[in-house]
Amino acid sequence: MGLHERIHHYPQSDLDGVIPNESELTGGVTIEPGRSYGFFTDTTVCIGCKACEVACKEWNNLPADSIGLTGQSFDNTGMLSANTWRHVAFVEREGDRGVRAAEQAPFQSGWLMMSDVCKHCHNAPCLEACPTGAIFKTEFDTVVVQQDICNGCGYCVPACPFGVVALNEVDGKVHKCTLCYDRLKGGLEPACAKACPTESIQFGELSDLHEKARERIGVLHERGVEQAYLYGTPDGPGATGDLGHLNAFFLLTERPEVYNLPAAPTRASNRVRPSLTTGVATIGALALLAIGLFSSDRGEGR
Amino acid sequence: MAAKQTIEGVVILAQESRFQLTDDAGVSHLFVLSHGAFAEPSDLSILQKQQARVRVRSSEAPNLKARVAHRIELC
Repeated sequence: MGLHERIHHYPQSDLDGVIPNESELTGGVTIEPGRSYGFFTDTTVCIGCKACEVACKEWNNLPADSIGLTGQSFDNTGMLSANTWRHVAFVEREGDRGVRAAEQAPFQSGWLMMSDVCKHCHNAPCLEACPTGAIFKTEFDTVVVQQDICNGCGYCVPACPFGVVALNEVDGKVHKCTLCYDRLKGGLEPACAKACPTESIQFGELSDLHEKARERIGVLHERGVEQAYLYGTPDGPGATGDLGHLNAFFLLTERPEVYNLPAAPTRASNRVRPSLTTGVATIGALALLAIGLFSSDRGEGR
Repeated sequence: MAAKQTIEGVVILAQESRFQLTDDAGVSHLFVLSHGAFAEPSDLSILQKQQARVRVRSSEAPNLKARVAHRIELC
């Protein structure tokens, strides 16, 4: 990304206040309500530095959790939770049954790293499951939980096909990535994207990000990385089961399951009609059986 | 039952049900509002905007680098 010309307006180190539309300078994007924003995470340039995790924790005032060592490679975060909204996954491809290989291939090729986050689904299953309306679509086409309305019922937790939404047992409410809703309203790009030193996490308008991602796929294919593909773009893997598309989508080089992503996520609401039909049919069949048995008993009694 | 502790200071940061309080020694403490506390996340942002001086009764949170705030009182 080239430098924006407005950067020359702010040569000083100390600023009087927030730079208006700062995202133009840091992310090359102007944030306006009514447009669709998201993340493009290119896993091929992720170095596993966890700057995104730290930036997210710092901005959102999230406490450290899962204190201790997991024993899973360099991953001590473990998973996304109510207090962890970014999680850098470390997948070791070399070695055998958990034992690391004695020699590592150059250029970190023995590793797959991916910064996981809420996908901000177009047809968000968590939003559909929420009975109080606490989960809503913002003016930036992102999915956010309103804390003053959430009653902690937890229906959204199993509805999320990615296992992102989590209930905090301390405050009794669910939490997840807000795509830095407060920062977007202030013209700032999300903290994780701003902190990413390799631009593995790119923030922007979704149509622009899709174009950038397709270009990147082309470049990788030319370089011989033919297995590279996009997860979560319209009609692509990850955007299955009527989810539409994912506002946070990924460039992957392995099967989704390797990154702990579902191969074919679906909306929980798709299962309501078959479940209800099966339930009603079962009740009907049992009622008919009971009537039949009752009638035959009475017939034999005469 | 974890031991409860009272900390006094100024609310300098509030995000959802989490807030940071700086005590007189300049040490910052991170709290998560308990579901049983007589306060809502929306109250925290008001306290933060007013840079309110408060007294927080809290206990340790399990597996979390934060304390659970059970009671908040204005000083």
